[in-house]
Order: sequence, then structure tokens, then C-alpha cells
Amino acid sequence: MSAYSVVFGAGLWLLAVAAVADLALGTRRPRLVQVPYLLGAAACACIVVAGAGALAGRSARLWAGGVLGQGTAGPAADQLSGLFLVIAFGAAAGVSLAFASWAGQGRPGRRGLGASYALALAAVAVILTARDAFTLLFAWEGLTLAFYLLAGFERGRPGRPAAALVTLAFGRLSGAALLIGLLLLAGRSGSLSVATFAHVPPGGVRTTAQALLLLGFAVKVGLVPFQIWLPRGYAAAPGPARAIMAGVAVNVGFYGLWRTLALLGPPPSWLTGALLVMAGLTAVLGIAHAAVQPQLQRVIAYSSVENTGLILAGFGVALVGAASADRLLVAVGLLAATLQVIAHTAAKSLLFTASAQIESATGTADLDDLRGTVRRLPWSGTGLAIGGLTLAGLPPTAGFVSEWFLLEALMQQFRVPGLADRLVLALAGAAVALTAGFAGVTFVRLLGLIVLGTPQPRGSAVRLRDYGLAGRAGIVLLSGGCLVTAMLTPLEIRVIAAGLSPDVPAAATAAALKSPWVLQPVFAGFSILSPSWLWIVMPALFLVVAVLAWAASGSRMLRVRRVPPWQSATAGVEGRDSYTAFGFANPTRRVLAAVLHTRAEVRRIETRAPVAAPSPASLAAPSPASLAAPSPASLASFPAGAGAADTAGPGAGVPHVGFSSDVVEVFEEYLYRPVLRPLAALGRAARRLQSGRLDAYLGYMLIALVAMLAVVSALS
Amino acid sequence: MWVLAGLRHGVLTTRWPARPDQYAQASRGPAVVTTARPPDADQLASLCPTGAIGVTGGALSLDQGRCVQCGRCVSARPEVFAWSAGPAGAALARPGLIAGDLPENPENLAALSERLRARTRALRRSVHLRHVDAGSDGTEEWEILALLNPVYDVHRLGIFFTASPRHADVLLVTGSGARGMTEPLRRTYEAMPHPKVVIAVGTDAVSGGLVSPSYATTAGVAATVPVDVWLPGSPPSPFAILHALLLALGRLPGGAGAQR
Amino acid sequence: MPAAAGAAVAADVPAMWAKLTSEVAAGARFAGLFATARSDHLLLSAHLARPAGIAIVETALPPAAASYPALTPRLGAAFWYEREIRDLFGIVPAGHPRLEPLILPLEGAQSPRPRPGAPGGPAVAEPDPRALPQHVIGPGMFTIPHGPVRSGVMESVEYLVETPGEDIPHLNMRVFYKHRGIEKRFEGMTPADGVLLAERTEGTASVAHALAYCHALERMAGVEVPWAAALVRVLHAELERVACHLDVAVRLADAAGLAVATARFGWHKEEVLRLVSQLCGSRFGRGVVIAGGVSALPLMSTADLLAAAGRLDARVTADVRALMGTASFLDRLRRTGPLPPGRAAEHGALGPVGKASGFADDARLARPYDAYPRLGLRPAGPHDEGDALARLRVRWDEVGQSLHLLRQAADELSEAAAGPLRAPCHPHDGRSVGWAEAPQGEVLYDVRIEGGRLTRCRARSASFHNLVLMHEVFAGDILTDFPFIEASFGLSVAGVAG
Repeated sequence: MSAYSVVFGAGLWLLAVAAVADLALGTRRPRLVQVPYLLGAAACACIVVAGAGALAGRSARLWAGGVLGQGTAGPAADQLSGLFLVIAFGAAAGVSLAFASWAGQGRPGRRGLGASYALALAAVAVILTARDAFTLLFAWEGLTLAFYLLAGFERGRPGRPAAALVTLAFGRLSGAALLIGLLLLAGRSGSLSVATFAHVPPGGVRTTAQALLLLGFAVKVGLVPFQIWLPRGYAAAPGPARAIMAGVAVNVGFYGLWRTLALLGPPPSWLTGALLVMAGLTAVLGIAHAAVQPQLQRVIAYSSVENTGLILAGFGVALVGAASADRLLVAVGLLAATLQVIAHTAAKSLLFTASAQIESATGTADLDDLRGTVRRLPWSGTGLAIGGLTLAGLPPTAGFVSEWFLLEALMQQFRVPGLADRLVLALAGAAVALTAGFAGVTFVRLLGLIVLGTPQPRGSAVRLRDYGLAGRAGIVLLSGGCLVTAMLTPLEIRVIAAGLSPDVPAAATAAALKSPWVLQPVFAGFSILSPSWLWIVMPALFLVVAVLAWAASGSRMLRVRRVPPWQSATAGVEGRDSYTAFGFANPTRRVLAAVLHTRAEVRRIETRAPVAAPSPASLAAPSPASLAAPSPASLASFPAGAGAADTAGPGAGVPHVGFSSDVVEVFEEYLYRPVLRPLAALGRAARRLQSGRLDAYLGYMLIALVAMLAVVSALS
Repeated sequence: MWVLAGLRHGVLTTRWPARPDQYAQASRGPAVVTTARPPDADQLASLCPTGAIGVTGGALSLDQGRCVQCGRCVSARPEVFAWSAGPAGAALARPGLIAGDLPENPENLAALSERLRARTRALRRSVHLRHVDAGSDGTEEWEILALLNPVYDVHRLGIFFTASPRHADVLLVTGSGARGMTEPLRRTYEAMPHPKVVIAVGTDAVSGGLVSPSYATTAGVAATVPVDVWLPGSPPSPFAILHALLLALGRLPGGAGAQR
Repeated sequence: MPAAAGAAVAADVPAMWAKLTSEVAAGARFAGLFATARSDHLLLSAHLARPAGIAIVETALPPAAASYPALTPRLGAAFWYEREIRDLFGIVPAGHPRLEPLILPLEGAQSPRPRPGAPGGPAVAEPDPRALPQHVIGPGMFTIPHGPVRSGVMESVEYLVETPGEDIPHLNMRVFYKHRGIEKRFEGMTPADGVLLAERTEGTASVAHALAYCHALERMAGVEVPWAAALVRVLHAELERVACHLDVAVRLADAAGLAVATARFGWHKEEVLRLVSQLCGSRFGRGVVIAGGVSALPLMSTADLLAAAGRLDARVTADVRALMGTASFLDRLRRTGPLPPGRAAEHGALGPVGKASGFADDARLARPYDAYPRLGLRPAGPHDEGDALARLRVRWDEVGQSLHLLRQAADELSEAAAGPLRAPCHPHDGRSVGWAEAPQGEVLYDVRIEGGRLTRCRARSASFHNLVLMHEVFAGDILTDFPFIEASFGLSVAGVAG
């Protein structure tokens, strides 16, 4: 066993200790509550080291095998596993530090959050290094269980139990698909070891298994039409646990897809085409919903759906390339997808970490109440800003580089021989471009109103409690992941090349480096980009302009006279007098009404006029018969029948207008709800079996036994 | 189609101030006194509904800042009063609008003019205007907007209108200083960065016009913002407004600030 | 001209309201409500427009009265009039659905109010923003305050747009910024000075206001205006109408981004103003109309005037044809800001706003004055879509008719130039109503002279009557339609705020 194996094992043991510590120590003392998470952070660091070693070629085997049963091999990390270990646990380290700080802020809770967190991380580690089907499935179910525990942790709050159930249901769905697919392959290849699945002869079984595996992993990452559990499940989890679920654990899905391609090769072209179309649709649907959500957590959760679409579009390019045996195309597709995975992991973890603190400090997740949080929570606000910029794809962040790569990869569609493939790639490219545009709108809303807006009500810039030292370290680490990886993209590409190397030749992937600091989309002569130069040139330009301005103004530039913001010289109105987050999303609701099924309604809200005390000289109120009310079409001037004596009370009895707008999740509305109804009916019918009578249950057991005997004897 | 329509009548723009303009020369400004010491000077003050005509020591004076161009004095005594012709109506100091035989203080005027030139040195060739209506009757806005039509075309002089006071250099104020607009005017003035120039456009803005004295006006805008250039007229013609702008910027041909 | 209608005095306020509602139901148009502070009572006066003339219905309120039953629940068009009365006199209309300050927000019942009609009054009445109501908006909405200093060279008025983010379900207006206290300023002036102030009430309709005021004086003194003077008056009134309608076209073309159209109509408007200044020395026709006639003949020969009018007509007609054929422009105006015909008739919308919604009550046709009875004026063509495009079409119809009237008047003037220009008109005591059709609609003046001086001069401009309809024309429009709707109304805030 090499040193890396020891380190990996140490990591897993630390996670176990963390789980036990959480269950034993409880949540009473703030210092002790942080212990499980700090241990988890240490464990992540160990696992990252092990992953790095695996990338370098020193595979880390944990134990020989047979511990969990016959035919099982112990976990071992090869290059692909090592890549994903580094990605996932690098982010998890930062999240763990922030989790420690968050948990240590002394809130009442039950024990078990740390244990669920440790279980999730351990399951992720084992999935990423599983060598045989049984370990993989065992760890997969463990991850599903951890998700259920995390999503249902605050089961007292409204909507949480339902969200936890939905998460569990989809987790079981993916587990079931994986189970059937792996067992089909195991049956054909005669062994549980994953490496032997590559030799299964092509045919219906292999194709079916491939489709099932892709389905199982697609459910995990939230591809249309399985994306409806993502927003619910992520938003239901407490605090930084969302970052674990959405930023760290989702990578197992992507790892599974990469591994399926490596083992079983490209699926039939109809499946590739369907995947690409679904990916495009997922991206558009995800961003459309993200742009109009009124709650911060939901915006970020729907953004996960969007990124799934983007990543799978890149993966689709790789599938097309594999089908036409074009190594460079595979390289560019996987490179684009992996870059997006890295950017998404860092940014999503950062966003959910920052939003966790924002929500717990302000007590609300409603965007309209969260204006100007940077002033109140500088660290979380900055984290939110950097994460938002990364996911919006703005230079010089890592998100910009990955989106550029993705669009470049999709633009290589002209090199593909088949017309159908080309069309589907072009379609996916158009969808990705549309998504990029709306991602800009979504994150402008987040950044402009939340991070940069003026706190409302005005003057309430009271400093709330931000992260402690550990949390700040976590945010710095994750922000570094977003920004520094952009600076050092060539290094990042070399690491990815090492990770993909047995399946995609490193030479092909490294062809993305035109020169040490300039990137190209693997194919030469198409286009170039240098994010490292961007990192030098952009600040330099800013500095040059600032110096010029300072010099030209004769140092008057620094003498600032502060005046109120210009609002066309009005005295102002009470209440909301500038764009709200809800209103900012309105044009998007209208433009994307086809995708969102927007329903908007303006209605008049009558208020009963207060019955004022009659003033001394006022005459009797006019009788109803003489109240010839003006035409009901006049919406604004005066209401029909607001008649009570209204003396000069300002605003008393004034009717006002309310606006409400609903968007509909199309798949939930039109796919799942119609299916749920007969299922519920079935369940109700099945409940009749639970009559509570002992003789009935004994009868069922007898019938089952007889049926089993009949089947076994018929088959043998 | 519209391109052809635009080309049909050639160049409509006046060449003023580089070349003299016939309409500018003929346009009517506020009244002036032509005979400083008529025999019945004391009875003439009652001719004016705004009290612009004054008598000091037997000499008639007419405060153009109060003249609403009603024409009563000119039609009653055409040998004593006449219309001023031409666009040069603006002054850098309020006393400068009182035409007639009053002694001027040339040093003060020169100092004022010099200070204004120094302030507007950076703005000379490209200046942005912001207009505020502080209770006008609507005609001054028409005359200011006329500057944008192809006949006057201020853009050729590097003068532009802007909506945001943050980008504005010159504040044009019209109206007799309605009290409801005191605060908004003050806010607009505060929102403009230094250096800035304030031009009171129209007799209403200079002195309140015929509408003052009233419970709802402050008899001109000088009570709210510090005025640099005073432009009488009810309303002042677009040429007069252009003259006042160029006076404020020190761009009048033939020596800036030397006029009034 | 039509005979003066005497004032019908009602016994008390409910009787007066009953008479008003019955008259309106019988087909008269409610044309305004105002109050006058007399020495021992407060006089509430209402105007009713009938084909025969303008009738006055009034009643006296006891001096100690702090409120009276509101007219608005019975007659919706009185909405703003009662708010104005409350602002100027402090007397509360009980049962008024929304009693907020309109032109003079003063906090507290103890603040001294101007009370036009009574001598004296506060020297300074500072508007108090605390008197403005706190805004009640519903869920999902926010308010964009736009004004009073707006993005362009415009008059000061504040629009509070309540919006969910794109649509405009509701609009509030604050018009008190430009209040100058004109009604109080009239008091104590000589009738001759009153013409000057009338011209400056709403400067873009100077001639029409001067005409309405002088008609009141002429009716009081019982004089008839000489034919030559009547023709000169028509000349200037129609030129003013053309200028105002061209200004509306400039604003609409500017809002639509048609640079060449904006420039060309701006040039035409400049030509009109220059023509007016060549006729009388003032670009806005000031100083022409005086009580009893006009001050002088045009300073231009009839031949020159006809030539100039012909040139103007040809150029404007060509550009109008081009503008009304530009599809992108028409798209912005079609179905924008629709005013339902029923609402226009109920409110008695004046001017082009009413005509575009099928409610035409042109004072030049219904209650003609000056030279209009003998000149050929046709009613505007039927329009009832009520949207911004219809209002623009109505304005083009009026421009065509104005230029036609111009030529007719100039022709007749070349024969009648030898006649007298004014009839002596110096009323010492009296009370009368005068009216004229301004470009925005009908202007009404209710003038009371005692001892040779004005004691009450109520100037009701068409803008004041029409602006309240802006609340109701935003059906399904979005924020970018706002400048079109505002420009298509073509109103002057100076006339609203008084």
C-alpha cells in the first residue's frame, strides 16, 4: 500500500470519526459543534492529496478486496477518479470550513447534521473510487440516504418533508436504473468488477445497460425531465449542506457519465441525439426559471439545472466524436465539459455557502428583502458576487473560460460527418448561447439588486453577523477556485489531460494549449483565448485609466462631494420606489412566457374606508340611491362604492392595485402530476391489503411462497 | 423616403453668430428708453404693469428684467420708448439689465466677466445644458426647444441638452420661481458638478414677471440658485437664448463679456 | 355673439347638485366648478355648456361651513375641481372618494388658504410635502417617481407610475409644483392688465386665453367686435392652433426616433412662429387681442400673408403624408393610450382628446364667436378609436382647417382693412363668462368686475379639465409607450397648476 493509500484511508477514517463525534457531542456547545466539520475539512484535504497522487499515476488502493463480499474489489483511484476527487474534495474543503463556522454560530438544532454531512462525503469518496458494481451501488444508496437526511433535516419547516421525499424518490429512481444496468452487464460479463464490463459484446444488452446507466447518472445531475427534484431538494437542505449536495456530490453523476463513456464507448446515435436535445432544453429551462425566482436559494438551485445542461452539451460533443472515432473532438468535448464542471463546482459551492450565511443572518431568503447585503455582510456578499460573476460567464473568471470552450466545442459541429449529428449539435449550440444571455440577466439581478443595491428600508445598514475565521477561509478558498483557476488555465488543462489520459490521449487534450499561455479549442487555426493575459491586461488597463484620470484632473479626482442620488428631483414616495427583484424579472417572464407558462394578473384591491367621525359641520352622507357610481371601467380615479365619509385622512379608503405573476414548471405540471394521480389511486387501492388481520397476512405469505416455488421450478 | 424629404430644401441653418442673421437683427427684445429726460418723466412710471419704469433724479430708467413686452409704453409714447432689436439682451449682473442713463461700474463688470470666463474655460467648446422649469407659462420651454430645430441647430456650436444633471454644465432656469419647485430646483443645482453656470431665462425667472407678487412664487429664481447670466424677455427669442449661452461661455465674437 | 346667460341661483348645495345632474342627464356638458370668497359667504359656482351658451348655476355656503356634500360621487367630472376648491379655500367636500391636495398641499386645517375672491390672503403659502398622501400600493408593485425635473425640456409635473416592472396598471400625478397663484393675482388688476395676465396663464395658448377673457368683458359691456378685428383674431387663433399641433407632431416624432421628421416639423413650427412675429411683433401673438377688438392690423400685406400660408400648407401637407405613411411610427401610436368613447362623453373631454373618442364639442362650432359664424368651418371627421393615432389624425384635420380658415380670413381682411379695429369696452361693474377654443380645447373665463377692478377671474383651461383622463388611458401599455400618450394629449401643465 502506497503512501497515498494511507492518506486516502486516513481521510475516510476521519470522516467516520467526524460522524461519531457529531452524534456524541451534540449541539450544545458552539466550540464542540464545529469539531465534526473541521475533521471533515481535514479529511477532504487528505482525500485531495490522494487524488493528486492518483492523477500523477500512483494509484491508491485501499484494501485488497473481499471485505464486503465475494467478488468485490476494494476502492482504488485511477486518473479519472483522481481528477474528480481533486475537484470535488477541493471544493468540499472550503465548504467544510464554512460549515464549521456556520454551525458554530449557536443555533438550536438536533444532532445528526454533521453525521449526514460526513456520510455524504464518504459516499462520494467511495463512489469515485469504486472498482466493482456492488461497492458502487452500496455507496450510491448511501449517498441517496445522506441526501434524504440532509434535505429532511429541518423537517419541522413547511415543505421540507415533501422535498425530502421527492429527493429520496428520485435518488431511488437513479439507484434502480444503475442497479438494473450494472446487473445486466455483470450478468453478461460474469463478474462484478467494473473493468470487465468493457468487454461485454455489443448487442441489445450492452445498449440497454448503457442507456440505463446514462439514465441513472442523468437523474442524479438533473437532466430534463428529471430536474424537478433539484430545486426542492437543494433549497430544503440547511445552510452549507446545500453546497455539499449541489457543488460536491453532484460530481458523482458527471464522473459516472465520463466513466460510462470510457468503459462502454459511445452509445447509439439516437441516444446521443436525444441527450444533446435534452441538454439544450435543460439549459434553457433552468435559466428561464432561475431568472424569475423570488427566492435566493431557488435561483441558485435552478442555476444548477442550467449548468447540467451546459455540461451535458459538452459531453454530447464528446459522444459524437467517439461515435465518429475523432479523438480531437472527444478531447474538446470532454475538456469543455470538465472545465465547466470545475467552474460550476467552485461557483455553486461558493454561492450556496455565501447564501447560507446571508439567510441565517438576515432570517429571510426573499430577494426583495435582501438588498445591499454587501454592506451588511461583506464576506458573504463578496462571495455571492464572485460566484455570480463566474456562473454568468464574465471575464476574467473561470466561468468565462469554460463557456468559451463550450461554445467553441459546439461550433466544431462542421467537422462531423453526419447531417443529423450536425443539426443536433447546432441546436444545442443555439440553446447554450441563449442560456448564456439569460444567465447574464439572472446574475445581474442578483448582483445589481442584492449585492450592490441600497439596503431597504433606507438606513438599515446594520452590520449583521458574518462568517468567522474558518468561514472566511472557506470563502477565500472557493473564490480562489473561481478566479485563480482562470489565471492558471493552462495548468488546469494539463491536470485535466492527466485525468482523462487513459481514455483520451493526453496529446489530444494538451493540443488545447497553443502556446504556454494561449488556449485553442484543440483544433488548430480556429480561435484562441488567453485568460492569463486577460488577468494581466484588464487590471493593467484599469490602472492606466485611473492614473491618467488622476493626472488629468490635477488630483481633484479624490475630492468627492456627496449628494443624494438623482431621482428626478422628486421628494420621493414611501415604500418601494425603485425596481424590485420581482419587477426586474418581469420582462423575462413575458419574453419567455412560452417556456415558463407565465400567468399574470392585475387586480384591484379594495380597502374598506375607515368610518370617520362626522365633522361638526358635515351634512348627512348621501343616500345610496343617489350614488350614481361612475362607469366601472374607470380603474383608477375612484372606486365604485367606496362611499363612506372620507375626511382628509391621507390615503384612507384608496383602492390600490396588486399584481401577481405565476410561472409553471412545465414538466411537473404536464408530466408528473398526471402520472401521480393513477399512482396515488393505486396506492389507495393497495392500502386495502393492509386489513390488519393476521390470517390475511399469513395468506399473503403463503401465496408468495407458492408463486416463488412455481417460478423457480419453471425456470430451472 | 425621409432622406429625400430631408434633402429637399437644402440647408436651413442660420450662420449666426459667425454671420449676421436678418431675423435675429429684426427680432424684438424688451423695451428701452430712447429719450432719457422727457418733460413728464414722473407720470410715465404708471404706464408699466410690472413697474419696470423708474425715475431717478428726473432720468428715466427701464429695468429690462421686469419688462414683459406688453408694448404699452412703446405704443403710448413712441418717442420715449422703443423696442430693443437684436439678440443681445443678456447681462452678467442684475443691475446691467437696467438700461438707460445709469452709470455702470466697468471694473466690477470686467471682474465678473473674467471670473465667469475662468470658470467656463474647460467647457468652452462642448457644453451640456440642463433645463428646469420653475413655474413658467410654457413659452420659454418652446423657445429653448426651438434651439434644437434645424434652423438654430445648437449642436453645430457644441452645445447639447442632457437629461442628467450629473452630466450638465449649464443650468437653464425658466419660470417665476414657483414655491413648489424651490426644493426640486435646489436638488437639481446640488446634483450638478462644479464648474457650473446658471442662466435665468426669461423675465419671469429674472424678476418674477407679471405673475409676481404672488403667495406661490418667489419673484424669480435668484432666491433659490445663484444666477450668473440674466436674460430678460417674455419669452426671450431663441437667438437671445443663444446669445446668453455664448456670453456665459465667453464665446461671443468681438470680445466676450464686453457687451453688458 | 350668443346672448349672455344669467346665473341661476340654487337654494342650497343639494339642490344645486340636483340641478346639475339633471341638466347633464338632459345633454348639457359639465364645464367646471369653482368657488369665490365673498364678504359674508362662500359662493360655489358651476358652469354648464349648452349649445346656446355657458350657463352658471351657483349657491352660497354659510361662512362658517367647513364642508359640503361632494359632487364627485354624482358627477365624476368634478373630481379635480373639488380638490382644487379644497386646496384654495380649505373647505372639505364630504364623500369625495380621494381627497388629496392637487395644486397646493398645505398641512393642517389652520394654514391660511389663498381664498380667491376675498381681498387679502397669505403673503407666502409654502407647499408642504407632508400633506401629500402616503402611497398605498399593492403587492408585487413598486412606484417609479418620474419628475418634476424630467428628462428633456418639459414643464414640471411628477408622474408616479405604479408598475410591476413592465406594464403600467396605474398612474398618479402630482401637479402642484408649478402652482403660481394666478387666480389670486388677477384680483385688484385693471381689466386692461387682466388681458396681459390672461395671456400668461397658459403661454402656448396665449391668444385663446386672451380671447376668452376679452369675450367675457365684451359680453359684460355688451359690445360687438368690429369685423376687421374679428378677422385678425381668427388669424392669430388659427396660427396658434397650427403651432400647437405641430409641436405635438414634433414630440411624437422625437419619441419615435424619426430624426428627419422631428427636424422638418420643428422647422415648420419655427416658420409658423416667425410668421406670427412678422404679423404682430411677438412670436406668440401677445399684445394683439384687447378688450373690444385688436390693437393693430397685421404688419404684413395680405398678399405676403397668403403666399406664406400657401407655402406652409404645401410643405406641411407633404410631410404629414410622409409621416402618416411611416409604418413604424403608426405602430407606436395605434391602440396606444385608448380613451373609451363612453368615458370621454361622460367626462366631457375637450379638444382633440374628446374628438378622437367621438365626443366633439368645439366652441367655434357650438357657441361661435368672432368671425367663425361667417367663415366656413366644418366639424372634424368622425373618429372614435380614441387612441393616440386618432388624436393625431384629429390634429391633422384641424391643421388643414386652420390653414383654410387662415386663407379665408386673409382674403376677407384685404377688403375689410379699412374698418375700425376696436369698439370701446370699459365695463365698470359686472360678471360674465367668456370662452374660446384653444388648441387643447375650450377655455372658460368667469370674470367679475367691481369698481373698475377685477375681483374674481376664474381661468379654466382645457388642460385642467383633460389631464385627469391620463389616469385612465393606460390599458395594456408599457413604460415605453408613456411619452407617446403624454405627447398625444398635448396639454400644458401651466394651465393645470394655475
